[in-house]
Amino acid sequence: MRLEKCYFCSSTVYPGHGTMFVRNDGKGFRFCRSKCHKNFKMKRNPRKVRWTKAFRKAAGKEMTIDSTFEFEKRRNIPVRYDRNLMGTTIKAMKRVQEIRARRERAFFKQRMAGNKEREKELDIREIQKGIHLVATPAVAAKEIQKASETSKQMELD
Amino acid sequence: MVRIRRKRMHCNNKELHHRYKTKRRTKDLDQIQEDLQPGNRERLLALPVDEDLPGLGQHYCLECAKHHIDEAALARHRHGREHKRRLRDLKAPAYTQKEAEAAAGLTTDSGRPTTRSATGPLSLLLLKQKNDVAAQQSQPAPAPAPAMDVE
Repeated sequence: MRLEKCYFCSSTVYPGHGTMFVRNDGKGFRFCRSKCHKNFKMKRNPRKVRWTKAFRKAAGKEMTIDSTFEFEKRRNIPVRYDRNLMGTTIKAMKRVQEIRARRERAFFKQRMAGNKEREKELDIREIQKGIHLVATPAVAAKEIQKASETSKQMELD
Repeated sequence: MVRIRRKRMHCNNKELHHRYKTKRRTKDLDQIQEDLQPGNRERLLALPVDEDLPGLGQHYCLECAKHHIDEAALARHRHGREHKRRLRDLKAPAYTQKEAEAAAGLTTDSGRPTTRSATGPLSLLLLKQKNDVAAQQSQPAPAPAPAMDVE
């Protein structure tokens, strides 16, 4: 059983699923679902479509270089069946998956680091800019006073 | 005034379906990049006279894989937005199945000994390093922060 990868979104295509398009020069393209096939027909570049794996990897949204990617290979040399080897392989697969999941979580955390502070800063700035829209004159005066105080403090620093 | 329907429009777009028919399929970027290779380029620019093609097949734009009726039309096409966009698209190497597989973390092992490309969580460490450097730069100098806001 050979599991192919979708040309467009890089997801796994299981036997009996998806479609294959053969171009008039004999080159085949496999797709996991009609969504990917349609996007291919529209001549979209998977590198520029944001929901594909290719985009996410190229744009630094996901891990690209990692030792856990060293295990899954398309092996062109057949391996003779061995029950013990099979057992250890399956055990190793689970372990590798665990490690990769942990690293991915850490990667996501690192990627999102500092976002909360940045968003908060932006929100505060927006409120300060549009304070006349939301507040009564008294509150606005208070807010302006507070802002001036903080700016003075910053100058002192 | 009648509200224009926004949903369920695509299935009725006959023009779009006409364009995406396999029999009208135009060349892909990787095929064009092949055409631009030195050997093929000369062959395609010196096509024999063909009555069925626009302009007898004598005014061909290699990058857009398109025949034009005369030299003037070809020159006009070369000045156009579509042609320039195509030139930009052709600069990058074409997308391949191999790239799709690499994005899913699948590589080929043909039995030849290869050097391990990665040891440990390299991308994670690189990102962490980058974040740390950014944090260090922003921490010791709180004064420049408002200046950044202005930008």
